Amino acid sequence: MATVQVSEAEKLYVLHGVRDDLRVDGRGCEDYRHVEVETDVVSNTDGSAKVSLGHTNVLVGVKAEIGKPKPMVPDEGYLEFFVDCSANATPEFEGRGGEGLGIELSNTLVKVFSNKHCLDLKSLCISPGENCWVLYVDVLLLQCDGNLFDAISMAIKAALFNTKIPKVHICEDEDGGKEIELSDDPYDCVRVNVENIPCIVTLCKIGHRHVVDATLQEKACSVASLLISVTHTGMVTCVRKVGGGSLDPESIFEMTETGKRVGKALHAPLMELLQKEESLGSKRQKVGFLG
Amino acid sequence: MLKSKTFVKKTRSGGILKVVREHYLRDDIWCGSEVCVECKDESPVLEKDPCMESSMCTFPHYLIPDTNVVLHQIDVLEDPLIRNVIILQTVLQEVRHRSAPAYKRIKDAIHNKEKHFYTFTNEHHRETFIEREPGESANDRNDRAIRAAAHWYSKHIPDSAEIKVVMLTNDRLNKEKAEQTGLLVYRCDEYIKSLIANPELVDRLALTSDEKNEITSSKILFPEHLPLSQIQSGIKSGKYIQGTFRANRDNFLEGTVFVHGEGDESTEILLQGLQKLNRAVHQDVVAVELLPQEDWVAPSAVVLQDDGSKGEDEEEEEEEEEKKLQTKQVHRDSLKPTGRVVGIIKRNWRPYCGMLTLSHIKESTRHLFTPADRRIPRIRIETRQAATLEGQRIMVAIDGWPKNSRYPRGHFMKNLGSAGDKETETEVLLLEHDVPHLPFSQNVLSFLPSMPWAITEDDMNRREDLRHLCVCSVDPPGCTDIDDALHCRELENGNLEVGVHIADVSHFIRPGNAMDQEAASRGTTVYLCGKRIDMVPELLSSNLCSLRSNVERLAFSCIWEMNDNAEILNTRFTKSVINSKASLTYAEAQMKIDDRNMNDDITKNLRGLNKLAKILKAGRIEKGALTLSSPEVRFHIDSETHDPIDLQTKELQETNSMVEEFMLLANISVAQKIYDEFSECALLRKHPSPPPSNYDILHKAIKTKNLVIHTDSAKELADSLNQADIEGFPYFNTLLRILATRCMMQAVYFCSGLDSDFRHYGLATPIYTHFTSPIRRYSDIIVHRLLAVAIGADSTYPALMDKHKQAALCNNLNYRHKMAQYAQRASVAFHTQLFFKSRGILNEEGFILFVRKNAIIVLIPKFGLEGTVFFENKDKPSPKMTFNEEVPTLTVEGHTFNLFDRVRVTISLDASNIQHQKIRMSLLEPVIPGVSVPLPEAEPEAKKAKLDR
Repeated sequence: MATVQVSEAEKLYVLHGVRDDLRVDGRGCEDYRHVEVETDVVSNTDGSAKVSLGHTNVLVGVKAEIGKPKPMVPDEGYLEFFVDCSANATPEFEGRGGEGLGIELSNTLVKVFSNKHCLDLKSLCISPGENCWVLYVDVLLLQCDGNLFDAISMAIKAALFNTKIPKVHICEDEDGGKEIELSDDPYDCVRVNVENIPCIVTLCKIGHRHVVDATLQEKACSVASLLISVTHTGMVTCVRKVGGGSLDPESIFEMTETGKRVGKALHAPLMELLQKEESLGSKRQKVGFLG
Repeated sequence: MLKSKTFVKKTRSGGILKVVREHYLRDDIWCGSEVCVECKDESPVLEKDPCMESSMCTFPHYLIPDTNVVLHQIDVLEDPLIRNVIILQTVLQEVRHRSAPAYKRIKDAIHNKEKHFYTFTNEHHRETFIEREPGESANDRNDRAIRAAAHWYSKHIPDSAEIKVVMLTNDRLNKEKAEQTGLLVYRCDEYIKSLIANPELVDRLALTSDEKNEITSSKILFPEHLPLSQIQSGIKSGKYIQGTFRANRDNFLEGTVFVHGEGDESTEILLQGLQKLNRAVHQDVVAVELLPQEDWVAPSAVVLQDDGSKGEDEEEEEEEEEKKLQTKQVHRDSLKPTGRVVGIIKRNWRPYCGMLTLSHIKESTRHLFTPADRRIPRIRIETRQAATLEGQRIMVAIDGWPKNSRYPRGHFMKNLGSAGDKETETEVLLLEHDVPHLPFSQNVLSFLPSMPWAITEDDMNRREDLRHLCVCSVDPPGCTDIDDALHCRELENGNLEVGVHIADVSHFIRPGNAMDQEAASRGTTVYLCGKRIDMVPELLSSNLCSLRSNVERLAFSCIWEMNDNAEILNTRFTKSVINSKASLTYAEAQMKIDDRNMNDDITKNLRGLNKLAKILKAGRIEKGALTLSSPEVRFHIDSETHDPIDLQTKELQETNSMVEEFMLLANISVAQKIYDEFSECALLRKHPSPPPSNYDILHKAIKTKNLVIHTDSAKELADSLNQADIEGFPYFNTLLRILATRCMMQAVYFCSGLDSDFRHYGLATPIYTHFTSPIRRYSDIIVHRLLAVAIGADSTYPALMDKHKQAALCNNLNYRHKMAQYAQRASVAFHTQLFFKSRGILNEEGFILFVRKNAIIVLIPKFGLEGTVFFENKDKPSPKMTFNEEVPTLTVEGHTFNLFDRVRVTISLDASNIQHQKIRMSLLEPVIPGVSVPLPEAEPEAKKAKLDR
């Protein structure tokens, strides 16, 4: 991941600041940076969202395609994640530089979503054992300024909220031949219930304390971080430790509690924002990438 | 301003795709009106004073038709009276989607400057573009777009101009909505009826609205057609079968559905009775359901013509007729798979030629139209000019066939002229045989080389200069499209050099341009009696490509080196420049050869060619090439009136076969070359060998004369034909050859990559193509292109190397050739009728060619005319007849008719049915009381007067 070099003195400065609940950019330990969300930014996807968190910028597009359900769960659709670390984000990603990170990120996303409470996968089924919707969630990193996981998870939630799956129905003839028919009204579509989709909260352990939404500089000062995915009810769907250092059980407990609290608080304003944007309808002036 | 258009569609593989297109809105789309001051249009289309006098719209106005009006009432819109019409882009796009022919016609109307039709691109105009709203269907959206555009126009055109915009729609809802927003809107028919200038236009209104059913009893006559989706799934599951409907020519209650199978497994399903036919019209693609086996019937041999004299209420009578079909006792094995039509997949309606049968009620405006093609049902049309249309050939289009109507409904399109008139009849037979015969469009003509044309330096450098050779052409008299010329000279080594030079049409017609497309669609030049319908514009066919004498022309040459035994030592192909020294007719060439005193270059040339041709021909016959015969007639046409004044069978001279021999040789050489070079995409011609059962009639025929004929191979057939001779009956052999011709299959073009059997049966060659007549056949142009690529003289293009495109082209060419042949025959038949009309009654000698159940078919060698002598007569009791199918013979009142019997008949013209005039023959000799007719008084003048009436 994109890193910055930090001198010992700087490290000490950050460390002492966090100890006193004072961060370099003036935030408290449980505060996020400025977040911007915009949905429906890529017209040829079925749902898309762009999220900027500080200077971290991610774009998520969701494409719905008809596929075959997995044999183990014939009555469910599924999600596929792909994270593209473009060299636009940071020169380190040039060539195949971003591949490792991309795989790590997408694997994490699979784990976060592999919980039956997150998303009603049954609603993605068209005809059991034969056809289902596959949602391809493509994440594109546009700019890295720390805390990718949180930004991506918010963007995914927003993009899924925005996703409009064309309505299809199966018509069956007498001898069992099935045919998928598409509704001819483009406005006739199905929405995904995103209420229970978790957001990831990354907590960085700095000194004896931990902070949310660490900048690159803070990250460089931390030995390990804990990644917690929390739904709006505070349910934790996934916990992962990243980074080289170790965490003692007590701080893990503490960090989980913080994560749950912060995560719960994150969902409400996000949903409110998305609904507000939706209600503006087509009259909304799009900001896009140049705004 | 950028908008994006988004829609979701289903792909063929079953996936769902979201498609997003950019859509730009502009503010520089002009309204196209001369009165407008705002728009900066340099050449506005719509006139300042649009004048269409209508009793409803007394003010000047522009018309805006909606999609359905354009689709269904295109015949009306095409009328020169209708001008100043705004065609919206929305409408144009929808028309394009729904009907290609209608789209082409509206496009033509828009291009016609006199019509002042203006296309307004409302979909790209900033103020008229609308987006589809949630819950709105695509159609509703388009209707709204049309209304929005009409609204914009009515606001946009300055009030001072006093021009209003009138919207035409047949959709009730659309009309109501438009009225609510204050637009002027009328139904199409009420507007057309209000036009003062041309009341006849009403006739051309297509009958679409459903309120017009009052004339028919509300009783439903036909079962409902299934919706397309149900048909499709039914076909998939095998419940229904898809096929092409073919109506029976002789029985209007019967038809067959031809089902294309894999390879040769095509089958036919019989349909019997109006209910089972269920409104299918000849050539429609239909879905049929097979009936259970116990309901299967045999095809009836009854001739039933739909008289149309009975009204709709006399259906009982029809049911009787249907019963007549079914109560016939039949053998079990003659039962055919029988079915019923459940739905129509694709209508293949075209405009039909025919005549009007006037209604019995004098004031009625509804009349029945009888098409010339007997396979097409009668069509009910509405017209007020019935009196003027009586006795005229007219064109009618079908609009629809509701389930409670006995006949399809249609509307009048065009008057072709009075029946029996030569121009009219020629037009009719061209239309009926689908021969494209309209003058070439400007677009096509724009690809002609500019005149004066001369061979350029560049051409000279690329081509071999053969101007010094003594080349000459031999053709029928009066031929202006000379596409082949020959030369022959002795080489220093004692061998002979023979060259066939073919007009280089592919030099002028470049692949893919409009002229090429037009030629590909026409496929062939059609020769009618006294008229030629060219495949390529006349400048090419009769001038630049024609290898006339003493002018320099571009040619594609095939040059052989041969020894004295006509064995080919060396073949080469080259593009060349030639200068023909003489254009001869067959007779002239023959005279030169025969005249011992002539010793000029040309004559020597011809003698050399003639000598080689004889050897070639002998070799070909040795291999088993067939010499078949069909009676061909030629008319001597009066140069003033263009009426046929005499008719004679075509005579063949030695020079005919001389030219033919070298053409065959060239074709074979070229076929081999292009096949060697392009084994996958060579365009070849094959003639399949006929199945043995085809020869049955020939075997039976010859048995009666105590002769045998072998048909196992072409060679044996040729030999037996040569040996079959009867003392004192010189015409017998020709008769036999005519019969043999009838046993043959049709020769066809095909693409070498998609077929494995290349043999040409009739010519007894393993490979064959057409190379020698590029002016009159499109196949030859393709072969020229292939050969040019093969010798590196020209570049290739993708379609030439695509075997599927090639195969599609072959299908069209085969179809056009077949139709051209039919048209030619029909033209000869018509001229024969004209000839006999002027001659009155003639008595001639003839031979029996076929024997039928109730008739004999007689060939008159003098005229090459074939006719049927019926022994049944409506007014008289039929004579006692016994038909022996085995021999076959027909015994009438004790006299037995055998094949090849000599008879005398009297020939006259039967004009009782003006649409289907025919030659009538009656028996004179042998005299059979009550059957044969007495020798009529030789009184042709009086008869003529009577017939001319």
